Amino acid sequence: MLYALMGLGLSLITGILNIPNFAHGALFAVGAYLLVSAATAIGNFWIALLVAPLGVALLGLAIEYAGIRRLYAAGHDYQLLFTFGLALILSESIILIWGPIGYSHLPPPILRGGLDLGFTFYPKYRLFVMVMAGLLVLATWLFLEKTRYGAIMRAGIENKEMVSLLGIDIHKLFTVAFALGAYLAGIAGALTVPIRGVNPGMGVDMLGIAFVVVALGGLGNLLGAIAAGLLIGVAQALVAGYWTEASTVVIYAVMAAVLLVRPQGMFGIR
Amino acid sequence: MSKLSRRDILKMGVGAAAGLGFPAIVRSQSKEIVILGLWDATGAFADVGPINDRGMRMALEERGMQVLGRPIKYITRDGATQAGTSTRRTEEAVDGEGAKFVIGPWSSGVALAVSEVAKRKKVLHLFSGGTEDISGARCHRYSFQWAASPYTAAKTVVDSFMQANPKAKRWHLLVADYAFGWSVEKYIKEVGKAHGLEFVGADRHPLGEREFSNYVQKAAANKPDAVAMINFGLDAVSGAREIFNFGLTPKVPLIMCWSSGVEELVQLSPEIRENIWVGSNFYYTADTPVAKEFVKNYSAKFGNPPGYAPSAAYSMTRLLLAGFDKAKSAEVQDVIKALEGIEVNDIVGRMRMDAATHQNIRPYFFMRCKSKSAMKHATDFADIIATGDAPLPKEHAACKDIGSF
Repeated sequence: MLYALMGLGLSLITGILNIPNFAHGALFAVGAYLLVSAATAIGNFWIALLVAPLGVALLGLAIEYAGIRRLYAAGHDYQLLFTFGLALILSESIILIWGPIGYSHLPPPILRGGLDLGFTFYPKYRLFVMVMAGLLVLATWLFLEKTRYGAIMRAGIENKEMVSLLGIDIHKLFTVAFALGAYLAGIAGALTVPIRGVNPGMGVDMLGIAFVVVALGGLGNLLGAIAAGLLIGVAQALVAGYWTEASTVVIYAVMAAVLLVRPQGMFGIR
Repeated sequence: MSKLSRRDILKMGVGAAAGLGFPAIVRSQSKEIVILGLWDATGAFADVGPINDRGMRMALEERGMQVLGRPIKYITRDGATQAGTSTRRTEEAVDGEGAKFVIGPWSSGVALAVSEVAKRKKVLHLFSGGTEDISGARCHRYSFQWAASPYTAAKTVVDSFMQANPKAKRWHLLVADYAFGWSVEKYIKEVGKAHGLEFVGADRHPLGEREFSNYVQKAAANKPDAVAMINFGLDAVSGAREIFNFGLTPKVPLIMCWSSGVEELVQLSPEIRENIWVGSNFYYTADTPVAKEFVKNYSAKFGNPPGYAPSAAYSMTRLLLAGFDKAKSAEVQDVIKALEGIEVNDIVGRMRMDAATHQNIRPYFFMRCKSKSAMKHATDFADIIATGDAPLPKEHAACKDIGSF
């Protein structure tokens, strides 16, 4: 579900702004580090979980408003280079602020330990993440499908010029989409902390998978991102059960296999 | 034609002086001994390279950046934890900068490729890592192994752990799938025979693995008495964290067979470290005069005690400098001959470089992590409970003839 969350945010940005956001992994890492700092400062994991992704959304808002927006006229390549440079700046900033060595952060006491499911023992926190990420994906989907602003966003993905001609502020739409994508990356990062800890390279690790999810689902296709995220997660878990050495390579093998049959991705039309 | 001004004449004078002085600069540069630190700033071991550099720099600074009365020019290159990049940058440093002495890199697989460059370019290469091939099947006169042999490590870990836990005979292994993991796994299984160990599972994972849940579920299903990990760095940290999350530790002991010590342990919460047993090439409470001095200086400079990475770089550099001193020469082949069979007291205690294999014969450390309540300060992670220096038995030695220059 975390893969779906990351893929959904990246797909939203890719679909509306039409740029591959190379800083998406770094935003994921910032979300994780903000959670640790907030949880340590406040002493409450739940408030930190609320605050950290909002911080990343604000950062996303600032990035779009102060950076990407100024490059719309300059062209596609400049925006792409900007997000790439931004990823490097954010990664180095993490090292400067939090140091080069990572650390662990335990789940809140109520979610420590595991449940015996009969066939396997499973950590409570992982079950919580599954439910939480599922709810977030559902909420995002409902927002996009059932609200007026969600409909405008989907229309923006299909045809920006038409949306603009209808009198809708397309720049505001871009800003909101980037902030929402950043929020999803931030909350995915924050939720990951008790499972994977934090380290400066965590964004790079996740960025590759997020791009696989987006390409597999179909560029800019939101439903595709959700389906692809789930497919990748399930494939990885199944393969690891029988052939652990192949559990990483299966991610890319599934992508290659699907793209050979459907170059536009599972749900893509372009 | 315009008249020359006083300023123009002065400029020409400075230029002429610089030009005439240039051969002198070249002469002084030719006296420099260029040493390359091949440390990763990017790639899987990007977090380790900067601290390798700290250790190496400290050893050189102790000597005032000089040896044999000549200045040392210390250069570093980022090997990117990749064989292609590391070999290319090593060759560039040898050809372009005149480096004749190379220390690093940190990855065993990459080091094997760099070792081939050292052989071809006839430069001295010092390395510390878990592959047995550098002092084994692919040994040659130009490369030396500072780390304990994987056999020494496996023997220390298995013997010491079994002495403390004689009933823990069902082991599940998690092994990093590259040269270092294979070497240590082979000897863990070999030494385990003497203790009647049963290996109920052995899963290999790729370098850079971050999702260990599937491996841990398999390990849990095997109901082992102990889980032993043969991996390193963030792989080991991720694995240990997940083993705790799935409730194996602290009920089931976790053995980190070849750990970086401080750098890994600091990334784990005290709760996660409970019932973790750690084998390492160095731990900062080692009771040797050189270690005490180094730990004191390093801690004062960087605010935390050194782990295996800076300590190995520090000790390898000291070993190289000891080779210069013994050879009384900075010629590569003279230093190699001096290092063959050299005996020194260093951070880990007594070390002897085996002339026949270029394998360092030295102690390996085995620690038990402390519970949170037993820790006296934030970095009081573990107690050293044993050391071992059993060398690789002759029947396992793959380096039959180290060859000539």
